[in-house]
Order: sequence, then structure tokens, then C-alpha cells
Amino acid sequence: MDLAVQTFALTKRFKDFVAVDRIDLEIKSEVFGMLGPNGAGKTTLVRMLTTVLQPTEGTATVAGADIRREPGKVRERIGVVAQAMTLDVELTAWENLDIYGKYYGVPRTLRHERIKELLRWVGLAERARDPVGGFSGGMKRRLEIVRSLVHQPQILFLDEPTTGLDPQARAAVWDHLVAIHKDQGITLVITTHYMDEAEGLCDRLAIVDHGKIVALGTPSELKRKVSGGDIVEAELSTIPEAALNALEKADFVLEVKKRDNSLTILVKNGAEAVPRIVQLVDANRGKIKAITLRELTLDDVFLHFTGRSLGE
Amino acid sequence: MKAALAVWERDVRKFARQPAVMMAAIIGPFLSLILLGYAFGGAITYAPVAVVRESNGPFSSQFIDIMRIQLSCEYGGVNCKNSYQLTDVSDLDSARAMLRKGLVKAIVYIPLGFDQALTNHANTKVTINVYLDNTDPISAAAITGEITQAGQQLSAQIQINSPTTNSIVNVILADFYRNVFYIEFMAPGSLVQSIMFASIIGGGISILEDKERGIIEGYLVSPLKQYEIIIGVLFAGVTKAMFSAGTLFVLSLMIGAIRPNAGIVGYVLMFLTLFLTSLGIISMMTAYAVRATSRNAYTFTAFPINITLYFTSGAVYPTNGFPTWMQQIAAVNPEAYAVDALRLLMYKGAGLTPVLGDFAFLTGFTVIMIGLATVAFKRAL
Repeated sequence: MDLAVQTFALTKRFKDFVAVDRIDLEIKSEVFGMLGPNGAGKTTLVRMLTTVLQPTEGTATVAGADIRREPGKVRERIGVVAQAMTLDVELTAWENLDIYGKYYGVPRTLRHERIKELLRWVGLAERARDPVGGFSGGMKRRLEIVRSLVHQPQILFLDEPTTGLDPQARAAVWDHLVAIHKDQGITLVITTHYMDEAEGLCDRLAIVDHGKIVALGTPSELKRKVSGGDIVEAELSTIPEAALNALEKADFVLEVKKRDNSLTILVKNGAEAVPRIVQLVDANRGKIKAITLRELTLDDVFLHFTGRSLGE
Repeated sequence: MKAALAVWERDVRKFARQPAVMMAAIIGPFLSLILLGYAFGGAITYAPVAVVRESNGPFSSQFIDIMRIQLSCEYGGVNCKNSYQLTDVSDLDSARAMLRKGLVKAIVYIPLGFDQALTNHANTKVTINVYLDNTDPISAAAITGEITQAGQQLSAQIQINSPTTNSIVNVILADFYRNVFYIEFMAPGSLVQSIMFASIIGGGISILEDKERGIIEGYLVSPLKQYEIIIGVLFAGVTKAMFSAGTLFVLSLMIGAIRPNAGIVGYVLMFLTLFLTSLGIISMMTAYAVRATSRNAYTFTAFPINITLYFTSGAVYPTNGFPTWMQQIAAVNPEAYAVDALRLLMYKGAGLTPVLGDFAFLTGFTVIMIGLATVAFKRAL
């Protein structure tokens, strides 16, 4: 099986700023997610893969074509769904898809067949002749996704595909995305900073920070990489320095992050740790208002690898 | 009240931070004022007039001398200049051809026997014929006034020199074309302005919108070639501009604001003029819009550009009436050439030859602007 995407020391510099730093990455036929805070370099990476930006160094093959030498071929073989809505609201659903298909030179008969099929598939067949302006956010999103499929790409790049949608519409979009991969064998490359999106949708994830891939694997692999397993969150009225020091030194604690008056503590075994944390804090004249134990989430993984939470 | 002050402050601060908006608020009205003011206030100067002299003698020479010293003055007596510039032409037919091509605004015809009649008879009436290019009613009116006065002066001088004579020199005016109303004079400029409006709104703004919405970036990830995008965008703009100019043309025909004196060739050439103008102006505004930093910056600067091009085009007042600096703008203003070509084609029934100069300029302008639009687009793509 050929790789969908393979990068070779792919680098992009803007003057002194290194946006993407010698990334080597392989993406198979899968749903691949790229996670990272704003400015981490994931957008620049995708813009190079979709031939919008020229790499400073290194190169990549996308759908079997080199992004430097054969950008035209790459463009014919990929679909891109931008984060912002780029449908023409004055035009009908059909017209939006039809004109897009013409950009790609899809022959008329095939194009019309394909559009009918795609509209039916996302439940918009009855609205084909309606101007897109009257559609709901979820409908527009689904239409935009199938628009990028009119020319039958091998790889689909999506940027934050469910931003701004209500939970129901998001679920519907996810279902369609999963089906696109499963039924049509199209590789999906999704950039996102929604954890649930990454966890629920992606086969593999790359966490991108400061232009590098800091972690790569399936969601469960990534969680396992953060050794230990449980998270204790404690809210205190005040946090004395001594208490913090004591916790950081304790052998059952792996990592402590402090924010305002709350502590996020990564521990080996949650059930054992809770009473010992309470004890340690008490001994150092701290006062715990609330303490909770939960399982590790991708948010914690992200925090572990980047030192930042995704929302920041 | 403090809150109201804060609201006031926010608005005023925002206004001060947006130079484009401020410029538009000041420059727009200022441009209208000076361009309109100078356009309408100016006396017609140095309008080319052909003199066909079939009679040689002291009286006709005297008449021409009087014509030469006739001055028209601006604002009650300052800045006095000849309103016309005389050119000798050997025969009436050549002069008529020049008038048809728009090379002269009038022909002064001194017929054979003019001097002889005045010399031989003490009491006689002689005539000087003036043929006027009345498709430019403003220049025609200025020329008429001064030549009529010259005739009266000649009569008076003849009678002073020899008090026994009672000869009269009549200046007979003849409109070369059918009567052309001012609204018809203005109509070609309005057609060109509708092209400009369509280019600002339908061309530039839609490109800026596409740029802001990421549609242009969307083109980049598709197999569309750069030249395909540029051609598509420019000709969509031309279609919009031609649609507005075409609609205005038909409306003007319906209300009699345009009553063309043209055959099929004339109409084809009018279409070509409008097409070239549309392509040139659309390309210019596209180049500008693609480089503009924001929609506001574009809109508010397009407004004064529009005013300047329109009022210096000779659309509302003949360019002979302009001060020199405005004539210099007119000389490089594509709208001026478009208006000139349209007037020749609409009211003088001109064929290709008289408008070749206008076409050459418009073609050159269009080629340069397509080049600029291409460069601007390539940078944006």
C-alpha cells in the first residue's frame, strides 16, 4: 500500500521564524489528525502539502506526486475543505458543486451523476435547487465537504471541519467523514484543536508544537505514552509553596501543574494517591476545597507534550 | 454623559485611524469642487477653427485679424485668451472632412467675391458662412458669439473708414449636424461612468470579497491555471460592465438622451469602444483591488478616482474649457478617449478612421492594465 503522504525533512521558514522544522511524517490510508495550538505550525504544514506554500527545504509526496515538482498533479488528486465557509451563498447547492467540478475538468455526464449521488448521500438532494444562503450551518458544512469530493480525490484535507456547529450537526459531519474514509477509501487529514474530534474521529494523531511533531500515534497509544495513568485535580483555598514542593518531590507523583488555586497532578495510581495528597497538603498548612480523580484524556496528553492546554 | 463621551471617543478615534475613510471624506468633495468648478467655469480656449478663404483682399484680411484678437476671459476679465485657434485650409471639402473627424470645431468660410463686393459697391451685403460642430454645443456657442462679434466689428470699421458706405457683413451660422442637446452631449460620458461603477462594484469589490473569504486561496489548491483564473475574472467583469453600459444605452435611446446618427458600422464601433473601455477599466480596478489592503481602503479611494476620471474626461464640459493641468489629466485619461470616440460615432456618423487615434490609446491602455492586473494577481495567488 502506497503512502498517502510522505514528507522528507519538510521545512518552512519565514525570515527568522521557523514555522515547520524538518518534519518527517508518513500518513497511510487512514483518518489522520493534526493537533496543535495556534501558531504551532500545523496550518503551514498543511499549506505546503496542498501546494499553496513552497517549502524552504525538504519536500513531500502527496498522493504519489511531489509537491515541488508536480504541484499540478497533487492538486488534481486532493480535495481541500477550508475552515471558513467558501460556498457561494447566492448560488444553489447544485450550482456550487457543478462549478467546482468544472474547475477540475470533470466531464459533464460523470459530474452530474456524481453530484446527484453526493447530494443524496448527505441528505441534500431535495434542496439541490435552493440557494445555499438559506441552509443551516450543518447543511452548509456537509455541502462543502461533498463539494470537495466531486472530482474524486485520493486525499481530503480538512481544517477544523466542525468549528461552530451544534453537537447534533457535528455528529452528522463526523459520520459522513468516517464514511468517506471507510466506503470510498479516501485518506483524511484533519487539523483540529477539538479533543473530542481528534479522539472520536482519527485513527492516528500527531501533536505539533513549535514546528515539530512532538508526539505521534493512535489516541490510546498517546495516552499510554504519558506514563502513569490517572489525573487528580485539587482545588485549594491557597497553595503554600511548601505544599507544592512536597507534592513535586513525592514519589507517587509524576507531574504537577498549577493554575491559580487549582492543581492538576499526574499520578501512577489514582486511588492510592488521593489520601496521600490530602495528607501532604494538610501537613503543609494547605486547605483542600475539592479533590477529584479522573482518567487521562487527550487534553492531558497535549498538556504533557506541549506544556500548554489546547484552549490557550 | 461620560458614557456618551466614550461612545463619541470610540467613533472619533476609529475615524482618525482610518486614513482611507478620512481621505474620502475630504478628498471626494474637494475633487468634485475643483474639477467641476474649473470644468464649468473655464472659458473655451483655442478650439481649433478652420478658415477657408476663397477671397483675397483687404477686407477678408481685416476680418481674420479681428477674429484673432477676439478674446474670451474668465471670471469677468481675467486670464483672457483666444477661444479658438485658426488654421488655414485650402478648400471647403477638406475643411468639412476635418470637421467630420473632429479635428476642428468650426469652419469659417469666406466665399469668392467677398472682397470684390465690398470694394466695388458702397452699399452691399456680404456674407461669411460659419459651419459649426454643434455636437459640442458648448464650444459651438463660444465660437458663435465671437465670430458674430467679429462680423459686427468689421461692418463698423468699414463704415468708420469710409462714412459714405453702408455695407454690412453678415455672419451666417449653420449647424453642421442636426441639433444635439446637452443631454446627448453628456450621454457618452454616462455610459463610460456606468462602466466605471460596474468595475468598482462588480469587479473590484467581488474580488476583495473572494480574497477575504479565502476563495482565491481555494483556487490555488485546485488545478486551475493562473491565466485561467485571470481571464475568467477579467471577462466576468467585462460582462458586468457591458451589461450596465448596454442597459444604460437602451434606456437613453428610449428617453431620447441618445439619438445616434450611425449605421451598422457605427454601432459595431460603439460596441468595440465600450468593450475596450470595459476591459481596460476592469483590469485597472482589478489590479487595484487585488493589491488593496481592505475593502474600505479600496472603496473609499475608488470614489475619488472615479470623480477625477469622469470630470476630466470632457463628459460634462468640453476639454477646451479646462485649465492646462486638467487638460494634461485628460490627455492620459482613458475615459476622455472613450467619450471622444463615442461622440464621433454617435453624432457625427464617423467610421473607423476618425476614431483610430482613440482606439489606439484605449488599446494601449487596456494592454498595460491587463499586464498590471496579471502581475497583481500573480502576487496575490
